[in-house]
Amino acid sequence: MPAETAVIRTAVGVRGRRANSQSTGARVSQAQARLNDSDLIRASQRGDRAAFETLVRQYDQAVLRLALHLTDSEADAQDIYQEAFLKAYRHIVNFRFECSFYTWIYRIVTNLCLDHLRKRQTRREDHHVMTDSSGQEVDLLERVSDDRSGANPERDLMRRELGAKIAHALTRLTPRERMVFELKHYQGLRLRTIGEMLNTTEETAKNTLFRATQKLRGVLASMR
Amino acid sequence: MTCDWIKENVVLYVYDELADDAKYEFEQHTRHCMACKQEVESAMAFRESLAETAAPEVSPNLLVASRLRLQEALEEAQQSHGWGRFVFDLTAWMHQLKLAPALTAAILMIGFAGGSLTTWKLLQHAPGGSQATVDKSKLLEGNLDNFAGVESITPEANSNKVAIKYDTLYSQTAEGTADDPRIQQLLLMAARNQHNSGVRLDSIEMLTRKAEDNAVREALIYALRYDKNPGVRLKALDGLKSFVKDDVHVRDAVVEVLMHDGNAGVRAEAISLLEPVRADMSVREALQALAQHDKDQFIRSQSRRYLESTPNLY
Repeated sequence: MPAETAVIRTAVGVRGRRANSQSTGARVSQAQARLNDSDLIRASQRGDRAAFETLVRQYDQAVLRLALHLTDSEADAQDIYQEAFLKAYRHIVNFRFECSFYTWIYRIVTNLCLDHLRKRQTRREDHHVMTDSSGQEVDLLERVSDDRSGANPERDLMRRELGAKIAHALTRLTPRERMVFELKHYQGLRLRTIGEMLNTTEETAKNTLFRATQKLRGVLASMR
Repeated sequence: MTCDWIKENVVLYVYDELADDAKYEFEQHTRHCMACKQEVESAMAFRESLAETAAPEVSPNLLVASRLRLQEALEEAQQSHGWGRFVFDLTAWMHQLKLAPALTAAILMIGFAGGSLTTWKLLQHAPGGSQATVDKSKLLEGNLDNFAGVESITPEANSNKVAIKYDTLYSQTAEGTADDPRIQQLLLMAARNQHNSGVRLDSIEMLTRKAEDNAVREALIYALRYDKNPGVRLKALDGLKSFVKDDVHVRDAVVEVLMHDGNAGVRAEAISLLEPVRADMSVREALQALAQHDKDQFIRSQSRRYLESTPNLY
């Protein structure tokens, strides 16, 4: 399997419109950094924790961002982040370089997130509300207006309403549809890469994305 | 190329997943078919409307907290056994060595008790009352505090004597320059000496002279993050000063210290180190948080000053 050439957006410090628009250049290529991954992985396999931490730093922002988007909870996102990297550390001796480290770690994270989404689906939580690290509930409506209020309050209000509708629409997707949509729309990954991460084919990933967008468009249209 | 095919593939077109030839045919068709053109516009509008709203973003605080929590968990974590079992584990070996004197003392006590019992039994049965003795003088030649381990125990045939071969630990002095790898190794070990902050301070001071070495820099970052003594942390900061610009790990560590260190002096020093990299996105985010919420007046005003003197490029 060839090395990955996909890109991951840096998560921290990228806010608002920039973060959501792949066309504005907010995605930062980390392909160069991955050239050094092999050395770091081999050192980590020998038990070098510093090397593993360096490896973690290359991907942890994107991992945390993915977990935060999918869980809507800072505490849950932190738990998934922690569990994913601990799992990676414990099992890195089994890493056989058959795929990139980036695909491997994302495979671990997506599995943990899918488990979380499945559990939550049975609980049917209110997805308009997320909890921050201090356990306080934050309304997603409030988050939508970050940084951009003031200039045009009317537009801001519309944006907040749209944000709430989208948050609601996303809850209608199955965990797998939500995952594929997140990886495609918000993380900007290629469908082939998504297929590899989810242990499925590119074709299945395409079909899942198709179903997810159809559902979302349907739900959003019915709410207008 | 049919309208059904267009409908099935409009998502792939919107997300730029169609192959070049399929994309060309797609565009040719939608140029002339009004229904499909509307479908494409609707899908584009859907994507745009999603882009209009911001998804929750990772705050610097959350990232730093997650990293610290992970680091703590990694301290305890064990890697699974694969080829790793054949690799020499220095930490485990050091841990065993630490327990060795206690183990040695226990073996000696059991040996001594066993020997005494045997002597007593032999005295009970010995004709003529000839006494078997344990030669304690030889055993106590060395200082018991220096026992490192017992190499062998050999009972003497036809007598109650036993010969115990044991190793001892003695303090030694190593001399050399900071360039000497052996000296560097000792300094790195001394930097993590939990019991004596004076030793840590001295070793960190020596190590700052070789901060261009990656292992040394790691030790300085470790001291900066975890050392309980503010003097040691300040010394480590001083050693890392010239690497803030070029080494992102150093920068991350300084930002962490700035946001979480309990000592105002250390934090004031940390913020001055970030001045040359104040335009960096993560530094800027941290400065914004500090300017608003930090409990220290100096840190708040300094953060504001840096932010005001840095153009917002984004």
